[in-house]
Amino acid sequence: MKDYEVIIGLETHIQLNTETKIFCSCKADSWEADPNTNICPVCSGLPGVLPVLNAEAVRKGAILAAAMHAHINPKSYFDRKNYFYPDLPKGYQISQFDEPIGKGGYMDLPMENGETRHVRIHNLHLEEDAGKTKTEHGMRLLDYNRCGVPLVEMVTEPDLRSGDEAAQYLIRLRQLLRWIGVSEADMERGHLRCDANVSIRERGSTILNTKTEIKNVNSIESVRQAIGEEAKRQIELVESGGKVESFTLDWDADSGKLKKMRSKETEADYRYFREPDLLPVVLTPEEIAQIQAGLPELPLARRERFEKDYQLSGYDAEILTSERSLSDYYENAVKAYAGEAKAVANWMMNDLSRMLNDLGKNADELNLKPDDLAEIITMVDQGKINAATGKNLLKKVEESGKSPAKIVEEENLGLIDDSDALRTQIEAILASAPDEVANFRAGKESLLGWFVGQVMRSSGGKADPKRTREILLDLLRKE
Amino acid sequence: MTTKRISTELFEKLVSLAALELTAEESAYLFEEMNHQLTSVEALSKIPLPEGTQPSLHGLDCLGSAPRLDEWQPFPNPKVIIALAPETENDMIVVPDVKGAK
Amino acid sequence: MNLTQLSAFETAQKIRSGEVKAIEIVQSALAQIKKVDGVSGSLEPGLLSPEEEKKVHAFIQLTEDLAIRQAEKVDWMIANGEEPGLLAGVPLSVKDIFCVEGTNTTAASKIIANFVPPYTATAVERLTAAGALVLGKVNLDEFTFGSSNESSAFQPATNNPWQTEYVPGGSSGGSAASVAAQEVALSLGTDTGGSIRQPAAFCGVVGMKPSYGRVSRLGLIAFASSLDCPGPVARDVRDAALMLQVMAGNDPKDSTSSTKPVDNYLAALEQDVKGLRIGLSPDYEALYYPDMESGELYSQPIQKEVHDAVLQAAEWLAKAGAEIIENVPLPNTRYGIPTYFVISRVEAASNLHRFDGVKYGYRTPEDVGDLIELYRRSRAEGFGLEPKLRILMGMYVSAAEHASAYYQKALKVRSMIRNDFDQVFDPHGEHQLDALLTPTTATTAFKRKAVYGNSVLMQYSDQMTVTSNHAGVPALTLPGGLDENGLPIGIQLIGNDFREDMILRIGNAYEQITADEAWRKVRPQVLQGEVIA
Repeated sequence: MKDYEVIIGLETHIQLNTETKIFCSCKADSWEADPNTNICPVCSGLPGVLPVLNAEAVRKGAILAAAMHAHINPKSYFDRKNYFYPDLPKGYQISQFDEPIGKGGYMDLPMENGETRHVRIHNLHLEEDAGKTKTEHGMRLLDYNRCGVPLVEMVTEPDLRSGDEAAQYLIRLRQLLRWIGVSEADMERGHLRCDANVSIRERGSTILNTKTEIKNVNSIESVRQAIGEEAKRQIELVESGGKVESFTLDWDADSGKLKKMRSKETEADYRYFREPDLLPVVLTPEEIAQIQAGLPELPLARRERFEKDYQLSGYDAEILTSERSLSDYYENAVKAYAGEAKAVANWMMNDLSRMLNDLGKNADELNLKPDDLAEIITMVDQGKINAATGKNLLKKVEESGKSPAKIVEEENLGLIDDSDALRTQIEAILASAPDEVANFRAGKESLLGWFVGQVMRSSGGKADPKRTREILLDLLRKE
Repeated sequence: MTTKRISTELFEKLVSLAALELTAEESAYLFEEMNHQLTSVEALSKIPLPEGTQPSLHGLDCLGSAPRLDEWQPFPNPKVIIALAPETENDMIVVPDVKGAK
Repeated sequence: MNLTQLSAFETAQKIRSGEVKAIEIVQSALAQIKKVDGVSGSLEPGLLSPEEEKKVHAFIQLTEDLAIRQAEKVDWMIANGEEPGLLAGVPLSVKDIFCVEGTNTTAASKIIANFVPPYTATAVERLTAAGALVLGKVNLDEFTFGSSNESSAFQPATNNPWQTEYVPGGSSGGSAASVAAQEVALSLGTDTGGSIRQPAAFCGVVGMKPSYGRVSRLGLIAFASSLDCPGPVARDVRDAALMLQVMAGNDPKDSTSSTKPVDNYLAALEQDVKGLRIGLSPDYEALYYPDMESGELYSQPIQKEVHDAVLQAAEWLAKAGAEIIENVPLPNTRYGIPTYFVISRVEAASNLHRFDGVKYGYRTPEDVGDLIELYRRSRAEGFGLEPKLRILMGMYVSAAEHASAYYQKALKVRSMIRNDFDQVFDPHGEHQLDALLTPTTATTAFKRKAVYGNSVLMQYSDQMTVTSNHAGVPALTLPGGLDENGLPIGIQLIGNDFREDMILRIGNAYEQITADEAWRKVRPQVLQGEVIA
């Protein structure tokens, strides 16, 4: 069998998280709504209605273009894509054809083997979403709630080389979309949809062969599997002397099978022409500059910086840059903390993350601020409280909203710092356990742990373990 | 007898693309009229365009309405829209399925 | 006093002063409609008695209850010292292409014969907010596709009130006829290639296509979105100015509606024409019609009386102090119709996609069992021939293989047509015109059935008007005399972008100069025997 290369390009549809639809003032998100309750004459395609562009959809589209290093077109145009389909009330979709909002761009995808796949973007364009149809006993039921939701369609060049890479691309894209705040990118809610174009060629060849299009891959896993299946199918076909034909395939996630949908040749001519009801989309140089300048440090760039600046492992840096608010939190805590960034990382990845999970909150929703975390860690460092107390403080600060120092004071959580007082306490304990003292002195040094436990119990956990051990040893080893 | 500008097969294809169905009489009339109109349209092909002529999407420079603010303004009565449909079920519009669809 | 003889301006004056009540206006309008209109247009007209031949048939639907409610409101406001609006009590008809909430809006088509929209067009809203009374929806060519009103699915089609065996023109035939027949004082029409001006000329009334974007298109069932303009049809220039004043202005819900401030049109009427530069163009003195074999354009002279009327108008305006500039070239005028065949059809085909039997309007009663069949049958049964023709034409010239040769080319020719106007209106150019004076149509009205069926010939009746749609500039048609058969002649003034004030001013001056002309005293056939109070 020859050595084949799999060539993949992805088309993603990204639902923007604006308040309203792109051409009318209905809600952009109506996942929970009853059918046909989030509609108006404009998105239902009634006669006589006109589209009015949502400025925020343009801004978010431009932000995404900037984050993908694409060229933002200062003047882009809407076009009509004409075809008949029941989920398209006007009989045309308002989209952007030849002058889209963003052209070019790329994403440098870190792969598991340590290499980077440079994935080029062909273009990004704004368009309106179609409605939903449900098939029931031979009839179609139409729900227009989703008609007019703002989408950005982003098309890559055929730069991906495996189902895994495609999956990685989607994971990174999802992360990026949430990071820059333009989409919730929840694939289960259809915020991020994907079609994959797949072809094969002999390794070493540079030509592009006939490709098939896989539709309806609605999860990261589906993308991985479907592409794998299709690549396999094409290779088998070619190996047995067949020719790959241009088909649209539908991925059935339940059965894990690809089904032919329709031949691309018979696809309609959409007769694109400029949308006469809308004016060109204009972004001034100031607006574009503002958008570029307003871009946050992007996740992959930040991950690299965290590894370098904070000496974090790749694994730790990945986790601490997985989500923006967590990442900002970490950085702010590090800045407030005088010690090693790694220490903060440990706290974040363990106890803080656990708390976020339990509470179902994002890091920027916490009452426990980065400063507070830094303070708690510092107090443990300084021996003012022990580690266990520190961990409990996280929750206490979150629930009460008070500063760590205040809580420590109020609840008397501070470690007993005063060596004399501690010494006195320990002496009392030794006096009350003469047998154990004798045993220890006879050689059973393992009893030290027991003594420490006793001291802890009697002090309500506030004794400094280190000092306790020192003093115990001192007293026990004395004759 | 007019010079044929489009073929009958192309005409049939257009009818299909336009989601129309024509009687023989209508077909004959419309086919003829289309060809007449295309004869008139042929004048366009002969017009020499000055260098750099741009297409005009609107006649004049539209100093139009600015894009709107992203503020929710629900249509007061969506039920009224669905009530316009010839057939509905549970507030969804009903149409027959496409034959041969999955 | 015969209330139906009052102009809109006079009506509003008398209402506001309390001399007349709005409810009386409604009653007199309804009486006039009853007298002259005959049966309203309908899908199944049945056998018509011979008297119907002599009726106007402007209306598809009378909205008596609506008008009465509106009149009661106006009367109440007057009684309570509240400001009732500039058009208080003025009877208005609305071309049935505008959505009016709660009333059938048919577009004169079977496909939405029973469509009741849940919203009202902005233009209509502004008029009723100013106190106008909507007497009913008037007939038109189906979806505004036509220049004679004959293609309406609601028959009998409107007749020309001057001589009822002639067409009123189209597509705003019902608008023009209802004003000419004194059924209403004002009518709201639309003009995409000449659809207000041509019927206004044929019916001897005033009609205006404002600049593109001057009046909101929201609620107007679209034909060609880059060309459609709602506009006034009225008996005189002052009424047209008044109606435009009320309707004009930005609508944030129409992205193409202009944010330019609205001028004071009534004030503009006060000014004279001294020193104004008014141009005459040889390119508007002939009709450029294609040879059906070769496609070559050959010129035909326009009707002599029409030509003479324009020259006469120029003379009068010159006497009043205007400067007439002859031989102003607008060489791309002759390409107006071919360009229109392409651009308007592409947009129309797309705009008509939404009529598919699914969401509203007509759905085929056949049990089709397949969605594509449903589309086809519903559209085949619901649309008349002219919409079908426009759809097919639009699809052809925008198809991927032809788009460049036809659609893209047409958009460029449009630039050239626009450029013609830029040249003549350029304040530093060779001609520096304030307005162009042209015929509105090459001929006066034609007889019913004389042209219908010949779609090219029918479209060419818009040759003089379509250029201003392509360019977006405003244009006004005025009665300019009668031909030897007693049919009205229309003369047209075309102005620069958003210079409605200029053409209204010149039109008003012309009206005053010709106030005592004999032809102004001739009444249309349907108003013969009427006592002039």
